Amino acid sequence: MVDLYATLWTFALAGLTLLLTWLLAMLASWLIGRFMQQSSPQVTSGARRLGAVMVWLIGSILAIQELGVSPLILIVVIALVGFAALIAVREPLGNYGAKYFTDVYTPFKVGDTIRVQGYAGKVIAINAITTVLLADNEQLISVPNSVFITDIVVNTTPQAWKEVTIPISIGPSVDLPAFESELLKHLSKLRLRLDRQFPPLLSTKSRTSQSTDLTLTVMLRRPEERDAVTVEVNKRVAEVLEHTRTNRR
Amino acid sequence: MHFGGLLTGAGEHMRLRTYEWATQVTAPMQPLNMCINTQTPLVQFTAAHAPPPGRRTSAPLDLAALTEGVDYRYSPGGVTRMVLPLVRHMLQDRFLDEAHWVALNPNAPATVRMSGVTLHSVTLGPKRMASYGMVKEAIWGRVHGIDETDHHDDLFWTEAFSEYAYYNRITSELIRKLDKKHDFDVFYIHDFQQIPIGHMLTTLKPKIFRWHIPFDRSTIPPRWHALLATYLNSYDAIVVSSPRYADSLKSFGYTGRIEHIYPYVDPKDYSDPPAADVASVSERFGVRRGDIVALVVARMDPVKAHDRAIEALAELASSFPRLKLVLVGNGSFSSSRSGVGLSKSDRWRAHLEEMVTRSHLEDRVVFTGHLSQHDLDCFYERCSFTILPSVREGFGLVVVESWLHHRPAIITSRAGIADLVREGKNGLVFDPDEPGALAGQMRRLLGDHPTELSKTLIRGGSLAAEKCSIEAAVRSERALLTEVMEA
Repeated sequence: MVDLYATLWTFALAGLTLLLTWLLAMLASWLIGRFMQQSSPQVTSGARRLGAVMVWLIGSILAIQELGVSPLILIVVIALVGFAALIAVREPLGNYGAKYFTDVYTPFKVGDTIRVQGYAGKVIAINAITTVLLADNEQLISVPNSVFITDIVVNTTPQAWKEVTIPISIGPSVDLPAFESELLKHLSKLRLRLDRQFPPLLSTKSRTSQSTDLTLTVMLRRPEERDAVTVEVNKRVAEVLEHTRTNRR
Repeated sequence: MHFGGLLTGAGEHMRLRTYEWATQVTAPMQPLNMCINTQTPLVQFTAAHAPPPGRRTSAPLDLAALTEGVDYRYSPGGVTRMVLPLVRHMLQDRFLDEAHWVALNPNAPATVRMSGVTLHSVTLGPKRMASYGMVKEAIWGRVHGIDETDHHDDLFWTEAFSEYAYYNRITSELIRKLDKKHDFDVFYIHDFQQIPIGHMLTTLKPKIFRWHIPFDRSTIPPRWHALLATYLNSYDAIVVSSPRYADSLKSFGYTGRIEHIYPYVDPKDYSDPPAADVASVSERFGVRRGDIVALVVARMDPVKAHDRAIEALAELASSFPRLKLVLVGNGSFSSSRSGVGLSKSDRWRAHLEEMVTRSHLEDRVVFTGHLSQHDLDCFYERCSFTILPSVREGFGLVVVESWLHHRPAIITSRAGIADLVREGKNGLVFDPDEPGALAGQMRRLLGDHPTELSKTLIRGGSLAAEKCSIEAAVRSERALLTEVMEA
């Protein structure tokens, strides 16, 4: 009888640990979102996900410990699998990681004409591993994404310096029409810093039942204000996202 | 009076529905499922059928169970008047399998069914509606060249514009939802208010846009160019009403396919009313036997320039004491309280009434307001000639109506339909900004020997009207849809 109670108590503690983990993961995600308000929404969303995963990892190990199982074996298995995976997919992973950063920080997008490592062409696709260029002679050139972090890239598209594109991913909790309308209101307040001939434009890139990927394009008035404007626009996007989510709730 | 003879002659010798156009168009392999989007809804409901705020049911309403004129009415105006016959013909020919029509209709049930067409309503709260209305009026004013000031140059940066974007986004979201359910083959978006829909609707399926108003790049502020070009270039094809607009659109930077198709009407929608009805309707509005009627059919809007017609009447009043000017029409969907709620039609009518009083023409000008199709047919039958006085006009379908009713038309040179008019052959053209020009043309039809000129204009008008027939349009539209689908 005592054993049964002890077992139930152990399971209850493990359950409680998981519950606390869930709450902490939510808290961590929210705090990261608050601290990274000025960063790109895509980077913020990635950091929030990473924070939550870390909390879950620690919480799961603690819960396993509560059940009396040594977490050492689990840690060793995760480490070994992780190491093997890293070795196996080192190259593609590098390109994949590079894609994540080029999405946010490299100043070109599909449709632009660029020059990199002696190759030039129009960007027709950016996938997880490579960026595909169409050369003037209609040849397809595949450039690994990692190149864009290590090499010099020249964007030869006219007025490319003006353009700031910000990827935004919104979940089903955000009402897209309300978000767009509110965002345009916010951005109209920055019009002194933006090119009046090119009002902000929100474009839908892809949609699933879980998320909608958007791109916000704004055009700068002065090149030296690129960073300041990007930070301000990112901040406003984060604020509007938060505001729209809260209103929906 | 020579005009009495002219009217009878026209009625007897050149009756209305004598068109025999061959409809040799081939049906597509598979009937299409088309989504249509307009701002103005096809039908407007009376208060009894308007759902209470926040309580729109999803159960579709069957239009056949309601009575036209009592429970609902068809929206007047060119766009809906054109699109419905087109859809009807395409459904009949099995070119279309079904059509879904999305439009702004705050006082309507969410879904309404009628034969072959399902109507879907978009709703907008009063505050957002006011801002949306302000933006669309500003665009309309600039494109029509009425507002030449620069105070709307930054329109796309205003808070009101964010509500215009909101309206278009909720419309595109509804279309997207319907597409998931019905898997449309093609999207046909109509009129300038809806222009962002193509960009917002992320789909690889064909998107066609019909630009119904004038397109003259010189009237568009440079600060609007980039965004408008982005919106326009999101369509696979754009249809315009005049070759002039096609050239301007090309020079504006549109890189897709441009098609010029004249607006059209279905002659079957027009009937010859019995003489007794014509007399009774005329009497109701104070038009007596022996009066010479000059008819203007246009909504109450400054761009329609009814004032030019009143000025011309004032000039001719003493020479032609039996001449009367009948102004048919009231506000559009944009002006109606159940629509966008703009009050410009009331203001314009008050201005015209004041002008009439000032010119002592109270017993010579008749304001009929909105008329049923039957009563309008009676006035077409009763009039001696029609006038389209607009200072700017995308096309001017009322001229085609006048031709279908075998009445000569005096036409502003600023209308798209002026491309079809050969001076003295099928119409009389005038510059609305030239003082006395309209009165001069009216005098030609009111003079001592108007019969020959009128007969010539009627004969020429009947031939010109063929270019704006529904049959011709169905052929062109089907060819366009087929080519866009196959491209």
